[in-house]
Amino acid sequence: MLEPLSAPLAEVASPRPRQPLFSRRYTLEIRQQLAWPWQALILGLALLLGLGLSAAILVLAGVPAGELLNEFVVATLFDAQSLQATLFQAAPVILVGLAGCLAFRARFWNLGLEGQMIWGALGATAVSLFEIGPEALRLPLMLVAALLGGLLWALAPLLLKLRLGVNEIIASLMLNYIAANFLLHLVFGPWKDPRDAFPYSPLFRSFERLPELLPGLSLAVPLALLVAVLAWWFVALSRAGLYLRFVDANPRVAGAVGVPVRATILATVLASGALAGLAGFVVAAGQEGRLTQSFYQGYGFSGILIAFLARNNPLAAAVVAFLVATLFVAGRNLQVFYQIPFAMVQLIQALIVICVASSDFFIRHRLRRSQGGAA
Amino acid sequence: MNLLASWLGNVPDFAIPYALAALGLILTERSGVLALHAEGLMLVGALFGIGAQLALGNAGLALLAAMGAAALVSLLFAVMVIWLRINQVIAGLTLVFFCQGLTGLLGTLWGWTNQPVSGLPALALWPLSDLPLVGRLFQQNLLVYLTPLIFFAVIAWLERTTPGLRLRAVGENPQAADAAGLSVAGYRLLAILAGAALVGLAGGYIAVLSTKLWIAEMTGGRGWIAVALVIFARWSPWRALAGALLFGCIEALIPQLAAAGVRLSQYFILMAPYAVTLGVMIWVALAGRDRLSQPGALGEAYVREERR
Repeated sequence: MLEPLSAPLAEVASPRPRQPLFSRRYTLEIRQQLAWPWQALILGLALLLGLGLSAAILVLAGVPAGELLNEFVVATLFDAQSLQATLFQAAPVILVGLAGCLAFRARFWNLGLEGQMIWGALGATAVSLFEIGPEALRLPLMLVAALLGGLLWALAPLLLKLRLGVNEIIASLMLNYIAANFLLHLVFGPWKDPRDAFPYSPLFRSFERLPELLPGLSLAVPLALLVAVLAWWFVALSRAGLYLRFVDANPRVAGAVGVPVRATILATVLASGALAGLAGFVVAAGQEGRLTQSFYQGYGFSGILIAFLARNNPLAAAVVAFLVATLFVAGRNLQVFYQIPFAMVQLIQALIVICVASSDFFIRHRLRRSQGGAA
Repeated sequence: MNLLASWLGNVPDFAIPYALAALGLILTERSGVLALHAEGLMLVGALFGIGAQLALGNAGLALLAAMGAAALVSLLFAVMVIWLRINQVIAGLTLVFFCQGLTGLLGTLWGWTNQPVSGLPALALWPLSDLPLVGRLFQQNLLVYLTPLIFFAVIAWLERTTPGLRLRAVGENPQAADAAGLSVAGYRLLAILAGAALVGLAGGYIAVLSTKLWIAEMTGGRGWIAVALVIFARWSPWRALAGALLFGCIEALIPQLAAAGVRLSQYFILMAPYAVTLGVMIWVALAGRDRLSQPGALGEAYVREERR
């Protein structure tokens, strides 16, 4: 408002020569808020940049540029068989994504998703291996065992954090390595399929595997979607979800107004572990049909990435997880057809996260050229 | 007796990478930047160390390449945490995943996987090397002997010089440091790059001097253990060196146990470093002193526009 008055005065007071481009001074300002279309535009540009960089790397790695769209979109979505594969792949990815969302909502850096997956699969396999329960109940029992396995493996870092303040990032990562070595011990040792020389457990019996709901559509997919809706209900509508938002905003104030802070964190993080365990069950009983030595690899990072990109919203996580599953399937195709290692999938995911995380800066700040010399 | 001697001789191969990585992380974290990216930078150092060794055939240059490559990649981290002010936990984790993907891809594409290299020859420090029992401790490669010197140099710089004092000031109270005219971004950039070079050297040690070949994900969580070591050492380099030696002793036991014919599944033995790390973290938490000694501004982006 003062500008029309002061601007001419300033001109008179300090007749300032036009500065050359590189000695101009800029200051960063924090934006109070930015209209959502701009936010969406910035986010979209960041995603495009991430995808562009990924495409460039793929081309450098030897994928013909013309084949990119074909490999990633046409071959994974527009062909009935690959769409099935993508949906099939989406189920465990959705589940680990949801596990990430829940843990991060409780401000718990659950990097132990892979270890929890392993224990979920171990629980389910134990039920199958020791033939616990009647045939009709076997699959539900395996599911419960998987939930419990993941939950218990999440309990350790959680208690260490709540009781002793041990950094959960390191603790849960160390537990991943311990779980992975224990898995190797089992599949190379006592649980090895005696029928051949490979490191995996005996095949599950037909009633121990996730059935197909429709031809080509495993029960895993609706199961994962159902869990996504439940998780959304949990964080958005339930009382616990309300508590969770309190705890997230300020744990001390939440405690002071009577929110059960510890119980809320405990329940949410244990649910996160249980969902990761469920993902392990889905891979073992849905995809592989047995316990294998490296079924969990890549899921832990994807779960964290999905939660980050979906801003911890379970429904958004399901959508992002589907896209990540597309990437997984495309990555396997690239491995087969162009001998590009599967690490490419992880590189692409990391690039996209870096771009999206960086875009936040441009949403929250603006550059402004300083007026006058006293900037 | 023989077992004991060969166990002692193997300790440096396991301890030195931990020591160098922890020193690098301490350097970075003393400037107030939370450094969770060690695992990734070690992988980068390891891969490019092997690559340079394969291309140039000189282990010294290979180690320099490892340092340079890790520092180069850490520039990305520096941009993310210093200028773009991304949450340092997210930035660190993402960088690890980025490096895992990058090294996994490049190692295969450029054909550096499973190519053995010669490494550095062992230098016997006569007459120490002829001592009974501890003799093998003095038949190590050059970098083992250099590591204490590196520690002396970094500690002297950090604690006895003005730039070192300023770097620590930036880590304790960036607002005050900024008001005193120090460049917070500049010192943090320096700390990230120098720290990354040391972490890269640790990765290079593992690949070029210890295992002498590259395999994807070969660091196997050693970067994370180094992060835990820094907490264990309460951000003091000498204590980090002691912790690294402790971990080195434990890890050097693993092949010895197998050789001694211990009837325990090898996978349980392989769990040991991770279980010990967990135990050490719990012990530190029970002692309850870690919060007091961490740099005051650790993990906080410095934003001048947000004066507190």
